[in-house]
Amino acid sequence: MNVSIEGARIYTTLPLFGGIPITASMVNAWVVMAIITGLCIWLTRGLKVENIGKRQVVAELLVTTCQKFVIGNMGERYAHFVPFIGALFSISALCSLSSLVGAFPATADLSTVLSWAVLVFGLITYTKIKTNGFVGYLKGFTTPIAVFTPFNIISELATPISMGFRHFGNIVSGSVISTLLYAALALLNQAVFGWLPGVLGEVLGGIPFLQLGIPAILSIYFDVFGSFMQAFIFCMLTTLYIANAAEE
Amino acid sequence: MEQYKDLVSLAPWDFIMQLGNLLILMLLVKRFLFKPVQKILDERQQQTNGLLEQARESQKQADAANKECQKQLAEAGERAQEMMEQAQKNAARQAQQVIQQARQEATNIKQQAAADIERQRAMALSSAKEEIGNMAVEIAGKVVEKELDESTHRKLIDEFIEKVGDAS
Repeated sequence: MNVSIEGARIYTTLPLFGGIPITASMVNAWVVMAIITGLCIWLTRGLKVENIGKRQVVAELLVTTCQKFVIGNMGERYAHFVPFIGALFSISALCSLSSLVGAFPATADLSTVLSWAVLVFGLITYTKIKTNGFVGYLKGFTTPIAVFTPFNIISELATPISMGFRHFGNIVSGSVISTLLYAALALLNQAVFGWLPGVLGEVLGGIPFLQLGIPAILSIYFDVFGSFMQAFIFCMLTTLYIANAAEE
Repeated sequence: MEQYKDLVSLAPWDFIMQLGNLLILMLLVKRFLFKPVQKILDERQQQTNGLLEQARESQKQADAANKECQKQLAEAGERAQEMMEQAQKNAARQAQQVIQQARQEATNIKQQAAADIERQRAMALSSAKEEIGNMAVEIAGKVVEKELDESTHRKLIDEFIEKVGDAS
């Protein structure tokens, strides 16, 4: 029995700029974006100042939670980062959660999370240059002494790579383990019920009883808990790195 | 034939697209969730501030009104006191006046009575004098048995009576 684990499926290739491949991760991200936008529109329909409904309570809770998170980590002057962090958390969490319904999560694609991490790296560098000036930014690499410069550069570049690979690795490892477990359970199923004599063994061995409950437990960890955890960690690191860059 | 990317792969178009997706989602979330909710939150904050301000204002007004009432009450009390004093003074004065008047009247009556008595006395005196005069003439006539010439002796008799009157 062969178990193959592939990346995102390429549905088609648009004949633009020498061919743009439309992959499952792109489609997944678009669907999630549409869901998030639709949810936002639905939640903010008929907002009132007084006598608010349940939907508005949820909407206000989401907004104030996001504001508290960003302002708590970065300070009042970075309040304009609130929508960015909100978008980052929601797309990360919902893309990862979409694996629950069998879709290919965009966060299991290295290109996706690495692009986010590079964007965050850009924001960090921009903040550092804005805080210290360009010369001050360059000088920052020679601290505490000039010999440390190469290490400082490596550690600087390691930030987006570690962020990207952490997110990608956690999500993809979940799906890899799930796939392996399914395959292993199918084999175990065949091995256990295949011993039965005659037609009974063939029929029962072909029905994967053992795949019924066990993967669900793992799925709770990898898909539900892991999804929120990685989204939270990514957002946390983003806010802390940028706030840290502004302090130097 | 279904085509798949490698599990660990970096595709430039995916990279660009997902970067764009995140930025677009940021704008969408900002436009459809954060802006409207923030607007409502701000409005509520403003309303709350307004209500607070209003409450403070009315508290101030109530305090002022209370003070005004207190002042007016005190003034009214003072005025009542004043009026009472005035009334008492008036009553005393009036009583005094009444007494004065009564006294005056009594005096007047007394004087009137005295004058009356005097007049009557004078009248009685004068009529008595006349009577006496006549009687004297009669008596004298009888004494002298001679009809006195009334007109000639009248003057004499009168002088006599006058002297008698003076003596009496």
